[in-house]
Amino acid sequence: MENYRRIMANNREWVKKIVESDPGYFDKLSKGQQPTFLFIGCSDSRAPAEVITGTEPGEMFVHRNIANQVQPADLNVLSVLQYGVEVLDIKHVIVCGHYGCGGVRAAMAEPFHGLVDYWIGGIRNIIRLNRHALEGMGGDEERFKRIVELNVLEQVYNLSQTPVVQQAWDKGPRPLLHGVVYDLHSGLLQELVVGLDSNKKAQEFFTPQLRMSLHGA
Amino acid sequence: MSVTAPSARAIAEVSSPPVAGGWFAYAREDAAASIVVALVALPLCLGIAHASGAPLTSGLVAGIIGGLVVPFLSGSQLMVSGPAAGLVTIVYASISELGGFEIFLPAVALAGVFQIVMGLLKAGVIKFYFPTDVMRGMLAAIGLTLILKQAVHLVGYDADYFGDTAFDQENHENTFTAIAHAFGATHAGATIIGLLSLALLFLWPKIPSAKIRRFPAGLFVVLLGIGLNALFRALGSDLMVQPEHLVAMPSSGGPLGFFGAVVRPDFSAFANPKVWSAAFTIGLVASLESLLSLEATDRLDPWKRTSPPSRELVAQGAGNFLAGLLGGLPLTGVIVRSSANVNAGGRTRLSAVLHGIWLLVFVLLIPGALNLIPLSALAAILIHTGFKLSPPSLYREMARIGWWHWLPFTLTIVSILLTDLLVGILIGLFIGGGVILLRHSRSPVLIPIGPPGSVLQRFILPVHLSFLNKAALANMLESFPPGSRVELDARRTAHIDYDILELIHTYAGLMKERGVDLRLVGVPSLPGGKPSGH
Repeated sequence: MENYRRIMANNREWVKKIVESDPGYFDKLSKGQQPTFLFIGCSDSRAPAEVITGTEPGEMFVHRNIANQVQPADLNVLSVLQYGVEVLDIKHVIVCGHYGCGGVRAAMAEPFHGLVDYWIGGIRNIIRLNRHALEGMGGDEERFKRIVELNVLEQVYNLSQTPVVQQAWDKGPRPLLHGVVYDLHSGLLQELVVGLDSNKKAQEFFTPQLRMSLHGA
Repeated sequence: MSVTAPSARAIAEVSSPPVAGGWFAYAREDAAASIVVALVALPLCLGIAHASGAPLTSGLVAGIIGGLVVPFLSGSQLMVSGPAAGLVTIVYASISELGGFEIFLPAVALAGVFQIVMGLLKAGVIKFYFPTDVMRGMLAAIGLTLILKQAVHLVGYDADYFGDTAFDQENHENTFTAIAHAFGATHAGATIIGLLSLALLFLWPKIPSAKIRRFPAGLFVVLLGIGLNALFRALGSDLMVQPEHLVAMPSSGGPLGFFGAVVRPDFSAFANPKVWSAAFTIGLVASLESLLSLEATDRLDPWKRTSPPSRELVAQGAGNFLAGLLGGLPLTGVIVRSSANVNAGGRTRLSAVLHGIWLLVFVLLIPGALNLIPLSALAAILIHTGFKLSPPSLYREMARIGWWHWLPFTLTIVSILLTDLLVGILIGLFIGGGVILLRHSRSPVLIPIGPPGSVLQRFILPVHLSFLNKAALANMLESFPPGSRVELDARRTAHIDYDILELIHTYAGLMKERGVDLRLVGVPSLPGGKPSGH
């Protein structure tokens, strides 16, 4: 309970500090949000979206789940995406994975984790499809990183295929899709794919070879 | 529409419309209706000819052609054609300007040719553009006109010709002064016959015996009128209806006499340019009147059959061509006789044809017997038809469906009552068209999609954007404050007027300067490049 009390106290402290420097801060924010970014990241406590991107409240719409998944039938992420793109007029959608991701590590192991095994089934497929390439790699750590990266690319691809993004691209070059990885060791974001804003660019990036390694087609 | 109340029973008796019924599928009903129509048509033909300053035979010739020729070519099942009260002024003026009826006749034939050409050019499509409210107003106005105009004949005041539909009458009375005068000049015998006939016509559907009910009520009241008058005469009573209140067939001296009395056209008049201009006017006005009658008759049809309008113009043209050659007045589709036809239970074009045959038979064989018919009995038939055309429920319905429908409806009625059918309907069409344009220009031009309060305000443009929407669209675009983000999606728009396109592209530049993020989706670019200034 002490822990819990601590965050309540933190909150009071934070409000005090903010209001001291900008008395109208909460008034402004309460009027509505016009975020520029949608961040789809991992639930991992070490990869907090606003902190690692230096964004202020009101700037970034956030969706986080285990292993930053964009699954085509997940109403949760699709709702966030639809609301973000069609109502909030989000310009950038960022899929952010991170090295050392527990979800990816679970997918690499035998499936005895419980419910989460269903959730990360897609990552197991990526591992299976890239078995030869992965086995040829030097060490476990390198393999692990590679799977994290492939997972991010797979989610960006899934994102590009959603009706929301397809309909938006039908109207113009918006939103832009990005895929990045956060390195827990250095705190740096590494760009994997940047600025997909049309089917043409998506096709150029997702070459047949890359698609084969992501989902066998 | 509830105007066709008497036919509701007819619908109940017959489960399906007579689509493939052929000519004689409803021979009994059509025959019964045709007698009533012919009896009503007879004094109308004579009265219109008289008022037009034309020989009385010419009205009968036109009525007979309207029955024996037009229905065979027309696509309408219920419309009756014949000489029209709406043409009286034009015909009267043309005859006096051309200097004789025999010179006027070639103009009628030429008018027919014009109509045929118009029909072949598919000019009849305008029928589909008569606004519903105006047509409803027209039918109601005809009903009121019949009631007001025939009320004086019902009480034996025949100062005006039978079948007039104009407000200003030739005898310098108008509809209302005539009624006022009629109060001082009622004829007791005619009034008794008229009121009794009217009461019978209203009570007829309530007669318990279906056998009696099947007998045409109109024919019954005519026979009753003749019988009562014969009784008055036999009793030597003052109630006896005088000849001026009876049908007045010209004494022609037998069939040969009738044909002898018919005027032959002067064919040399085709060289006269005035004949051509008269023909043009008559052709145009007769076509309009026919199309209005056609649309009105279609609306009265209990089976809701619709009639091809361009084919009707050809049919009417053929009728007028023959009328011109055979010494007849110009004819049109006529709504009074058509509604009497519907009201009397007519179902197919057989009734219109038979009405022509009866007219011919009347004229050739029994002209004397017709002169026994009191006009007040015929007036009762038309007043009864008038009430059916103008039931109180119609006014209640028009008031209920809203101001924008009620206004053209009511103004059409007032216009027709205070002028005449043709001028009144033109005023009504003008007002009705204006109301439609006004409403159109106020129709939504930006249809919001997405929830209120969205950062991105998304709109789809309607299927059709015309210059009428221009003001509304400009106002909408003006209303977006700086900082708004607006998306206009024209991908479902089938047609955008150039005016609108220019406006949108002009605003696209303007709004950028104003700090409004305007995104156009599927809006075609201007055919001639960007508007000036951008």
